[in-house]
Formats: sequence, structure tokens, C-alpha cells
Amino acid sequence: MIVHLWQNIDYVASVVLFCIGLYCVITKNNLIKKFIGLNIMETSVFAFIVALGVVDGGDAPIMGAGARAPFTNPIPQALILTGIVVAVSTTALALSLVIRIYQHCGTIEADELREME
Amino acid sequence: MKRALTAAFLVLVSLPLLYAMSQLPQHGSATSPAYTHIAPRYLERGPEEAGAENVVTDVILNYRGFDTNGEVTVIFTSLAAVFAVLLAGREGDERSASEPRARTTPEVSPVASFVVRLLSPFVAIFAVYVVMNGHISPGGGFQGGTVFGALLILATVVLGKATAEKLQPARIRGLLQAAAPLTFIAVGVAGLIMFGDYLAFPKAAALAWVRTLWLIVIEIGIGVGGASIISAIFWQMGGDR
Repeated sequence: MIVHLWQNIDYVASVVLFCIGLYCVITKNNLIKKFIGLNIMETSVFAFIVALGVVDGGDAPIMGAGARAPFTNPIPQALILTGIVVAVSTTALALSLVIRIYQHCGTIEADELREME
Repeated sequence: MKRALTAAFLVLVSLPLLYAMSQLPQHGSATSPAYTHIAPRYLERGPEEAGAENVVTDVILNYRGFDTNGEVTVIFTSLAAVFAVLLAGREGDERSASEPRARTTPEVSPVASFVVRLLSPFVAIFAVYVVMNGHISPGGGFQGGTVFGALLILATVVLGKATAEKLQPARIRGLLQAAAPLTFIAVGVAGLIMFGDYLAFPKAAALAWVRTLWLIVIEIGIGVGGASIISAIFWQMGGDR
């Protein structure tokens, strides 16, 4: 199992990144830091899925003169392009909500916000 | 205490993930299931069937055009939500009504100002190149739009908002922000009228140029829409309309 993990070290890196992001989301008190952690988690998933499409010695999947097989898998790249755009959209919405919370409550620390209720 | 508990929880989370990773096909192998089913078909027939030498562009704009159509709607909706969240607060805020915030642009050093003025035409050309060449090289609408949006944000920070806004006249700004979904719908309806299906591309080999043209039209729409949406979100968060 360890040998397999070593061969799949790219996937392990994305697991580590995911855990770093989850750690940020759980322990950080500042809402913006929480969203940064969420973005790290998203990035780890993107990295994982793009790594799934990698082929040893593969070129970019662009045909035309001089293109030589093998090519990397285009489908994960296309899916992740969609994922990145959606991640940007959610981040923009989350940050604007943080701005509103700050205007309304004067703080973006999660524990202070909880005490306010 | 909280940190130790969190660390223990993370170990608990990562163990099943690591186990799953060790069961996956080897990284980079050409025989993994992800690579042997539909990818070869796309790689083989993509350029002639879908109209672009860049197979990624084929997949996002032609084979899975519906998906991307929904995606550009998502980013447009997020812009609308940002407007709704931030503008709703501004009306009820008495503080800003009684003492308007200082709107002066901070002083920027002449060096920064000069460098930005010098670089912006080249950045703009690069953005246009990335958008227009998205079908034959790495790039495309989202990427080029992001480059242009970054240019707009840089110009806002360094040269002031008035200069940056000249690139998007207020009269047509709403239209520019909606450009991506609108072009997608336009091309989709054109396919509906001419070939009987929403987002249908012409299939005949003689009409290959039409496929490529439609891809470029969608790319331009996404580029324009992406750039104006990114800059609008930035301006909105800066506290200015």
C-alpha cells in the first residue's frame, strides 16, 4: 500500500492540501481566513482531478501540425475550468457577504459574532 | 486543546482518503479507465467534429456546451447576487448619507503610473490574443477575460476608477456584463433554428469554418463578459458604484 501511495504521490499531495484547507476552515476565527481555507480545499480537489488526467510523456491535447501522441486527457481539464469559474463565483459572493457582515456588526471574528446574538 | 482535537480529526479524515488514493490506478498510466473510454474519441475526432484544434475548447464549448452555458449563467448570477447584497446595504446606511466617504484616489508614484500606462496596451493585446487563439492554442474566453479583468483592476488601482471606467461606457455596461450568457444563447438559438437543436453545430465537413467561427464568437462573448464581471465585482467591493 505504501509503494502504491508513493507512486500516486500527486494524489497524496492533494489530500495534504485538502487537510490544510479543512484545518483553516475549522480553527481560524476570522471569516476571510475561513474562506481562504475553503479556497485551498477547492484547489486541492482541482489539483487532484487534473492529476487524474495526466499521462506519462503526454503533450497538451492540441492537435495540428507537429502534435504527437500521447496526449493528456482533455476531459478533466475542461471540467476543472468549469469548477474554477464556479469557485470564483462563490468566493465573490462569500466576500461580499463578509463585507455586509462587517458593515452591520463591525467585526468578522466568528466568536464575537456568536456572542452578539 | 482545540488544535489537538482538530489535528486528530484531520488524521481521521485523511486516512480513508489516503486508502482510496492507494487503490487508484497508477498516476500517469495510459491504461487507467479515465483515459480509455471517451477521451480517445474526443482526441481522435475532436478537431474535425467540433471545430477547434484545442480539444479542451472542443469539450467545453461543443461537446459539453450545455455545461458551459450553465457555468456562464452561474458567474453572471454571482455578479447579480454581489450587487444585491452590497447595494441593499448601501441604501439603508445612514452613516454614508450623513458623512460621505472621502472618494479621493490616493497619490500614486509617477513611476507606477508610467509603467502601468506603458504596459496596458501590451497586456490588452495579450488578452485579445488569448481569447482569439483559444481554439488553436492554450487559452480561451475565461483565461483572456481574466487577463483583461486584471488589467482593468490594475488601472483602477493605479490610474483611478474614472480612467478604467472609460473602457466600459456606463450605457452598455450591463450588456457587457451579460455578454457571456447572451452570446451563448444567441449561438444556441442559431443552432436551434438552422439545425434543429439548441447549441447544435453544423455537422457537414464543408461547414467546418462555421463551427470554428461559432466557437470564436462564444469565446469573445465569454472574454468580454468575464472581464467586465470581474472588474464590476472589484468595483462593487471597493465601495463605489
